[in-house]
Amino acid sequence: MDHSHHMGMSHTDHNTTTPPSHHHPTTSASHSHGGDMDHMMMMPMTFYFGFKNVELLFSGLVINTPGEMAGAFVAVFLLAVFYEGLKIGRESLLRKSQVSIRYNSMPVPGPNGTTLMETHKTVGQQMLSFPHLLQTVLHIIQVVVSYFLMLIFMTYNGYLCIAVAAGAGTGYFFFSWKKAVVVDITEHCH
Amino acid sequence: MEMHFIFSDKVVLLFDFWSVHSPAGMAFSVLVVLLLAVLYESIKVGKAKLLHQALVSLSIPTSQQLIEEMDQDSSGSDSPPVSKTRLRWFLCHFGQSLIHVVQVVIGYFIMLAVMSYNTWIFLGVVLGSAVGYYLAYPLFSMV
Repeated sequence: MDHSHHMGMSHTDHNTTTPPSHHHPTTSASHSHGGDMDHMMMMPMTFYFGFKNVELLFSGLVINTPGEMAGAFVAVFLLAVFYEGLKIGRESLLRKSQVSIRYNSMPVPGPNGTTLMETHKTVGQQMLSFPHLLQTVLHIIQVVVSYFLMLIFMTYNGYLCIAVAAGAGTGYFFFSWKKAVVVDITEHCH
Repeated sequence: MEMHFIFSDKVVLLFDFWSVHSPAGMAFSVLVVLLLAVLYESIKVGKAKLLHQALVSLSIPTSQQLIEEMDQDSSGSDSPPVSKTRLRWFLCHFGQSLIHVVQVVIGYFIMLAVMSYNTWIFLGVVLGSAVGYYLAYPLFSMV
């Protein structure tokens, strides 16, 4: 099908010629022309570059002009930078507010029948203390922002996806600069 | 778009040109997605390993070394010239940021692949994550 060759360029043309208000990104040659056509194309499932009729997260937020797309790019970029900063800020806050450190040793059987002493270190926080409540609030904010970024990436809009990636890289660059010197290298999965 | 997992040989993944419509194509796509997940897990481990190596090579004490130094109560050694170290640290950190961008993008690509709701692709992602996690830690510790 010849639609698939005009992915980026004629995206805006599709909007002016097709009657339904939702934009119709091109799909691959494999989709069928059954009655489900409108239903399948309401949400894009492949990357595209465009700025016409881009719905962003909320029902009132629709991008229609290049200026609005530029504004959205900056806002998404700053949101990704904020997310990286929040992640690292929470880590340093947690480290600063460690209240109690308990060591407990227990004997563990070692090779050759000897017993080794294994020492476990547990750091804890009181449940109702202010640092823990603050951590919880920041955790909720972090979860919500991370889901927003996921939903923004899910719009499959090329400009917005680039904004997310660039914001993540820039935020990581600025906020990890000082942190990297005193980080615990065994930390992972962050 | 059906919002439940389906077994199907037809799917479009991420880009317009990546359309699958045969079992062979689906097997190949599952393999690609699996390798992508393995790559994602290795980057996660590799980033931490790279940071540790850079810190060691630039004579910046890591937190473990700082703790050992505090125990021994030795005077700090600050011999390398500060400006050269700072430039090298800047370049190293810039490289780390680029790796972070790659990690974020691959993570999102994997999420979008799973969002196709194709069961084969999902299984490929899960298997790739498992294999990547299994292989990453021992291999990187050996380097």
